[in-house]
Amino acid sequence: MLDDQFSLDGTLAAPNEPSFETYGCKVFQESPQTPDRLKPDIVIEREFKNGELTAPDGRRIKFWGFVDPKSPDPVFREPVYPSPPMRVRVGQIVHTHLKAGKGPHTIHHHGILPTTFNDGVGHVSFEAGEYTYQWSPHKPGTNLYHCHRNTVLHFEMGMVGLIIVDPKYKGRGWLSDDGPQYHAEQAWVADDMDPRWHEFSHNEGLCGEDVGLNRFEPKYFLLSGVFNNRTMTDPRAVATVPVGKALLIRLLNASYSVLRVTIGVDAEVHAVDGSQLGLHDWNRPFTIKANQPFDLTSAQRWGLLIKPTQRGEIKARMEFRHWITGKIQDNGRGVVNTKIVVT
Amino acid sequence: MERRQFLKLSAAAAAAGTLSPAMAEAVNPRDPPKRIVRSGRLHLTITAYDYPMIDGTLVYVNYFEVAGEGIGGPNGRRGLHPTIWVMEGETLDITITNKDNRPHAFAVTSLSLSATPIPPGGTRTYSFKVPPPGSYIYHDPYNYPVNRILGLNGALIVLPSFDTTTPPPGNSPIPYNLTQQTLEVRALFDALGHGKFAGNKWVPELPEDEDHPRDLVWLTSEMDVGLARRVADGDEVDGSVWKSSFTPSYFMISGVSGFETARHEDLADDAYSYAGLIEPEGYEGQPTMIRCLNAGLCTHSLHIHGNDIYQLTGTNSAGGVVVNDNIFALDVWSMPPMARKDMLLPFVKPFDAPVWPPIEEKFPMRYVMHCHCEMSNTAGGGNYPQGMVTHWEMLGTYADYKRKKGLL
Repeated sequence: MLDDQFSLDGTLAAPNEPSFETYGCKVFQESPQTPDRLKPDIVIEREFKNGELTAPDGRRIKFWGFVDPKSPDPVFREPVYPSPPMRVRVGQIVHTHLKAGKGPHTIHHHGILPTTFNDGVGHVSFEAGEYTYQWSPHKPGTNLYHCHRNTVLHFEMGMVGLIIVDPKYKGRGWLSDDGPQYHAEQAWVADDMDPRWHEFSHNEGLCGEDVGLNRFEPKYFLLSGVFNNRTMTDPRAVATVPVGKALLIRLLNASYSVLRVTIGVDAEVHAVDGSQLGLHDWNRPFTIKANQPFDLTSAQRWGLLIKPTQRGEIKARMEFRHWITGKIQDNGRGVVNTKIVVT
Repeated sequence: MERRQFLKLSAAAAAAGTLSPAMAEAVNPRDPPKRIVRSGRLHLTITAYDYPMIDGTLVYVNYFEVAGEGIGGPNGRRGLHPTIWVMEGETLDITITNKDNRPHAFAVTSLSLSATPIPPGGTRTYSFKVPPPGSYIYHDPYNYPVNRILGLNGALIVLPSFDTTTPPPGNSPIPYNLTQQTLEVRALFDALGHGKFAGNKWVPELPEDEDHPRDLVWLTSEMDVGLARRVADGDEVDGSVWKSSFTPSYFMISGVSGFETARHEDLADDAYSYAGLIEPEGYEGQPTMIRCLNAGLCTHSLHIHGNDIYQLTGTNSAGGVVVNDNIFALDVWSMPPMARKDMLLPFVKPFDAPVWPPIEEKFPMRYVMHCHCEMSNTAGGGNYPQGMVTHWEMLGTYADYKRKKGLL
């Protein structure tokens, strides 16, 4: 069954056998064709591009982004932080076409469950100059994609964006084809930045140099790309929902801190990671009471439904806490405040 | 560094360790990995080593080791910080001999054992009835948490009595006793073997002719080279003060990192054998338990690729095992210090692969598991991904498995 080897234009569609050297320093680098390729329903383009942000203190911070060269929205043709979201429907055959530019990169669709070739981890498959990742989501939910080369650095540098999978038939506005429905949605992508890391090269530390990638000391804190001096006003961070209607918050901890979240209103948790609750006998949605803090660690996602019963503003606070000391980062400054406006 | 150089260092460290006569059944390193079940009496020594990290750096560590079975012993690395597998209801006599030059002690999460330190050269026996089924950490609580972080930690796994299942009509093997089982955990174990979980039920013990353990331990920990150097130099490190300056630079699963956490042909025999106790391997439809325990001081955020994973247990404030009554399918699970979570990896097909079984792409499917607080994926300040990462391997479809067994 496993003996016949299939040659695909000279590329063997079998996993590379890792060795000590290929684990990090000399990772497999290839640009193979996609095995078992089907005709796609949707093609998502991603290319690498350097970007720069200006922090509230005036400091210019380099970042690396995926851009969408064919996006109808010109904003996404240039680097943004975080990278442009992907939005697809359950059952679609999706092709993510990566052109890495000068250095190799990968795309790991986190929360999506494809074959090894399409999973984007170099040391068990390959890092790509160019490759088309093939996947077809089987369930709706909130996921993320990111580069998995020298991941510790490339993830921090901004090569990360949301993947939203809508239900097959009802599409946007529904958590699944069987409900529940939401009327407004807000992505809260929490992130932190250590400016020391943002001077590094793509391969920093890969071949054994001690560059201190075990130490992460963030000085900047963002929500959905907005620095925390503007998260009470910027529409990328502030949620808006009419009274009596349901707001879906897609909350992702894209930081390297333990994110302690407090929301001033009851929130029903309808999804954890990429899975909706209540579809099987072994789980069900649950409620987080108003002002009851809860923690999300790196890459966790929660889908929160909020149904405000009166007009006004609801406060939300996110504390970025150190993974060892548990203290709020940057001597207590690692906090994002934002709000939900109920109209 | 070159691999050859690394292997040489490993051999040097082994030679420096305690070489004692064989006292346990030796393992053929290339045999299928099997767990070593300990019960009744167990003699552990506390021993100091200069031990090689994945990049070859020698770091001063303290390990519990099976008496007479340290580095160079018949079970190789399995003799170090051994996983203790015991059956519910048993009484365990664990004798600890302190071969180090500092005082030590012995504790098991959720149990009250004597906290009186064992002086250098001393021996003490701890007798206790094992706690209910689930996963526990044994460790040295003396000068908390310094000695634990220096390496004095291990896993104690309690299994329910033989033939424990969910109630009829499910009758599914399950690693928790009838009192512990929630309706939800029963529903999940009863669902294994058909529908989206087509294949086998979970099985606690493998048939003789099968290769792949379906009950594994991932015990996470970290090493701080600066701390190790201070202790090795005889510095009296005060644990309560030191903790805030903890700066780990090596990140381990069950004591090994990166390349050594999965079975690679060019690993030395002992390392290959040991990796088999970490890396899940099997066919589609062969669900596998993974006992996740964090003996370190970092809050880790473990992430698995290829399958969602089910969190079966947590702990209460007294350290007791709690079987969950709301069981989530996760791809990330948080592991604060001393967290213990039993996870079930269903070993199902990757549901988002539009062609399955694959035709042009070949087995095995390899999927990584790593901590997503990515600083832990480094070794010595760089060297991604030689840290807290392993992978799991799907060798073929369930039909492939049945063909191999002659069932098709």
